[in-house]
Amino acid sequence: MDTYILAIESSCDETSVSIIKNGSDEISTVVLSQMDTHANYGGVVPEIASRMHIENITIVIEEALTKANMKMEDITAIAITYGPGLIGSLLIGVMAAKTLAYIYNKPLVPVHHIAGHIYANNLVKPMQFPLMALVVSGGHTELVYMKDHYSFEIVGSTLDDAIGEAYDKVARVVGVKYPGGPNVDKLAHIGKDTYNLPMPLDDDTFNFSFSGIKSAVINLVHNEEQRGNAIIKENLACSFQNRVVDILVKKTMHALTQYGVKNLIVAGGVSANKGLREKLTISCEEKGIDLTIPEIKYCTDNAAMIGAAGYFAYKLGRRADLTLNAKATDILK
Amino acid sequence: MKSLFINTSNKQLIVSIIIDDSIKYIHSEENSNQLSSAIMPIIDEAFVKTGLKPNDIDTIFVTNGPGSFTGIRIGLTIAKVMAWSLKIKVIPISTLELMASGEKGLVAPLIDARRGYVFAGLYDEDLNQIIPDGHILLSEFEKKLSEYNAFFVSHDTFEFDTSVPKYDIVKIIKKHANDEGVNPHTLNPNYLKLTEAEENLNKK
Repeated sequence: MDTYILAIESSCDETSVSIIKNGSDEISTVVLSQMDTHANYGGVVPEIASRMHIENITIVIEEALTKANMKMEDITAIAITYGPGLIGSLLIGVMAAKTLAYIYNKPLVPVHHIAGHIYANNLVKPMQFPLMALVVSGGHTELVYMKDHYSFEIVGSTLDDAIGEAYDKVARVVGVKYPGGPNVDKLAHIGKDTYNLPMPLDDDTFNFSFSGIKSAVINLVHNEEQRGNAIIKENLACSFQNRVVDILVKKTMHALTQYGVKNLIVAGGVSANKGLREKLTISCEEKGIDLTIPEIKYCTDNAAMIGAAGYFAYKLGRRADLTLNAKATDILK
Repeated sequence: MKSLFINTSNKQLIVSIIIDDSIKYIHSEENSNQLSSAIMPIIDEAFVKTGLKPNDIDTIFVTNGPGSFTGIRIGLTIAKVMAWSLKIKVIPISTLELMASGEKGLVAPLIDARRGYVFAGLYDEDLNQIIPDGHILLSEFEKKLSEYNAFFVSHDTFEFDTSVPKYDIVKIIKKHANDEGVNPHTLNPNYLKLTEAEENLNKK
């Protein structure tokens, strides 16, 4: 019998609901992004995000069901992002999911947001184990080794800033519009690598550190300003991107070798980064690694990935009861 | 008429099932912890103890503010989802009116909104609004009140005496039973206050 998961994701500034069949087939997805609103403030304002989630939540659920031509009765289980994320935002999805699970007597499946990003790859093609997942987003930079479904071993992570965070801070100091990360990526592609920026932490571990290069960019901009020199934004973007992408690719390839893994998947918002995609593709071809990167629409926050992850969690018997609470932080397990 | 009543917007968590004028279940608790974890099991208990199912409910009454922003959203999300999916009539109630419901005479319910501000209004004993709900400096509200002989109810502490609100849910339901239901999609909190980010943007 087919399993239909209705998934809800509201951890940050996207209200999204999706219906996923058997963990891989997307029946319908609705994503309502608040990005244009938060752009007015130069970043996500948590209270505004919460306010917009409650305004949209039932509309988005209804639209996902309508697009799928399904009723709540047809759904097998409800998957919900319980964390990590903005607590007020998460709560809207969690309360909506608990209410639906309660009144329709459906299993409630809690999904970790990062598990969702990883399982976005299962919407592209069935995940092959063992695999290494490179998780890159505004809150995460991690290498995760998976020998099977829902087996997460974190082999390396950032010691300070997440990669997406470093991108956003660099964007702000260089004067690039919100959303900073994607715009720095765009600029990097028209610029040249002319600025002498330090290489981020380059040791034998699989850990990352981006605060040094971030500070180097901030200092460089201040010094050039004091000297009255203009910053060539596209060149600085290109120099920054080359350094951080190079270290991401280098450490990822190193981890693949060390763990003897032939499958690499990329997950999280920064996997939309074109520079990262290009360099990983080249390195993986050279080394005979099977690389999977989700389509851009599955890289940013969406409920389809929660539905994919939720399916495997459901099959493994993972359940939450009506006391499920949102968690701002939580370890992937 | 079978009604479900939910208030999570101030310090008194209330879940109640009322049939006509008679309370069949009530959970009313001051300073409830972990509202988001606690509320659904309480709602479940309400249905179990009354032998009713969510589908049996004719009308949902839910407070939509003012009050704790997060608290308002917890109860209202439940009400929105239930009302939308089961096509149940839903009626929003002012938190301040609810706080005034258990009193005789003129009542001024207060919710501390910090920095000298309160959420406040003035109600008579039939729950008619004499001074509309607002987000207002306490000193200004006191001036407005000077021509009335009102007393204060609040869960918060002020420099003057207030009483803890008594809640009369049946009175609220009787008054609002014939109100027109609200489309669940557009049933939203009545915060009475912009976010700080919006206020700062407006100042520019």
